Amino acid sequence: MMDVETETRSLKEIEAVLNFAKLSRDEIKPSTQCVYFANHLDNDGIKLLELDKTVLNALESGERVVIRGDKEDNAVLCTDDNTYDIKQGEISNAMLLLPEMTLGKDLDSNSETNIERREVNTVIHTFYELRPCKPRLALLRTLLGENQYSGEISEQDEDHQGKKYTFNELLDLVQGSESQILVALKKMEALIINGYWRVLDFDYLVQIMTHIIQLSDENDWLHTGVPIEECLNVLQELFPRSVIEHVLKNYSDKIDPSSSGNDDDNDDKMMIDIDFYKLNEDKICRFYAEQILKHAKKFNLKQFMSTWEKSVPEGMKTNLFQLEGLALVEKDCSPEVISYLTVESLPEDISDRFNELFRIKEKWRLDEITPYIRDLQTDKMDVTAMLTKFARASTSNGVKLYNSKRPIT
Amino acid sequence: MVQIPVRIPSAGDGETKEWAMIELQGSLETRNPVPLGGKFIGDLHFTHKDVPVLIIGHHILYGKVVTLEKPYGIMVKDTSSSDTTAGTSYNIIAVIKKKLLFKTRPKPIIANVPKKL
Repeated sequence: MMDVETETRSLKEIEAVLNFAKLSRDEIKPSTQCVYFANHLDNDGIKLLELDKTVLNALESGERVVIRGDKEDNAVLCTDDNTYDIKQGEISNAMLLLPEMTLGKDLDSNSETNIERREVNTVIHTFYELRPCKPRLALLRTLLGENQYSGEISEQDEDHQGKKYTFNELLDLVQGSESQILVALKKMEALIINGYWRVLDFDYLVQIMTHIIQLSDENDWLHTGVPIEECLNVLQELFPRSVIEHVLKNYSDKIDPSSSGNDDDNDDKMMIDIDFYKLNEDKICRFYAEQILKHAKKFNLKQFMSTWEKSVPEGMKTNLFQLEGLALVEKDCSPEVISYLTVESLPEDISDRFNELFRIKEKWRLDEITPYIRDLQTDKMDVTAMLTKFARASTSNGVKLYNSKRPIT
Repeated sequence: MVQIPVRIPSAGDGETKEWAMIELQGSLETRNPVPLGGKFIGDLHFTHKDVPVLIIGHHILYGKVVTLEKPYGIMVKDTSSSDTTAGTSYNIIAVIKKKLLFKTRPKPIIANVPKKL
């Protein structure tokens, strides 16, 4: 029972102390654990990391968990699905760590008196805690903006020598979990070209879209849906197939073969194994609006509406709701104006976001501001809660308006 | 920026090793500034109701067993890899799920001189 190499207290010494302390043998279990400092205290080599269930499960199942951070950013910890801020905590209490110890419930009440030697190998006052946070993804847009794709021919020219990034390189730089980064890349309509994640240059995208829509117009595909193979075969002379496919899928919805054609007696259109994609009216209209707004920034609303309506493919209907998060419509001035303002161009940090929004416009209606803050919602804070925290509400002519709670910086 | 992997080396093959923690109010000091290595701290007993009792020097402390809502991982730098290009990584060698918390002021043991020792 006793360790030969190290001195351990004798039963006699323990009894003497119990006696001193007026602690009767009847009150306690027969096992005594004598606690010693280990010969080599390791106070610097060990760090305590507070783990919640999700992180612990991830670790125990062998999932990839990484700490990402550098000197400027705060460090974050990422599992496959989640991102956590790492904060150091300090307490005045001393935490003694023991690799071996038996809890009272595991000790027998009726055994012989016995002694165990226990060692404290670390005394520590600090620990690291994890707080779930939103991934910091704005950088992703900046990185991919360094070298946008404008077609194979342009890859060699001097405008396309900026850095390109593989997924692994992005993981090195962006503080977010793998799945969060993938979701963000999808939202940015990025794609993999020759092993690198790229976004399409807007003018290049316009070219591709123009061709897809022109072809659809000629073949009446706007109504029947675009047979993707045929479309790729026609346009592959002009653009890489994977790029056309990416664009087409982004701006259309796959037609479920079982749901279409029932009301139609046209059997030869229901060819098996041909995938049809129906161009999405809202997305196409939004795309045309962006072409107009991107260059003009601010527009007389009436003029814009008529220009926009004329630009979209025949049969498609424009509606202002299609421009949520892309353009800001101001109806309280004369003439009414529309201006180009994308959610993506605004700060990710919630208080910076509100500051920027109130700098752009002093007072906002709920329906105006919602598209510009909705992406920051969390389980704990929805749009209403954010407005309560960061804005002050007032009523003017029966309309509720929100303005800044603090001075704008 | 770098990516520092964190893993439980034994992940997958069952239970993660569990360590224990004793949390004391304040810090432990000796009368003379001598290295603490190898020094005796105190005797730990449990009452029949499993209340931990720690006797340190001339003080007796009653504590309680606390189950941590968020367990602590014991994180150490991984030095097993001889490949220096692999970069830093951390291993979680054990977790702490319960601690013995002694937050009450230590009660001094009143010296009633023992008859014989």
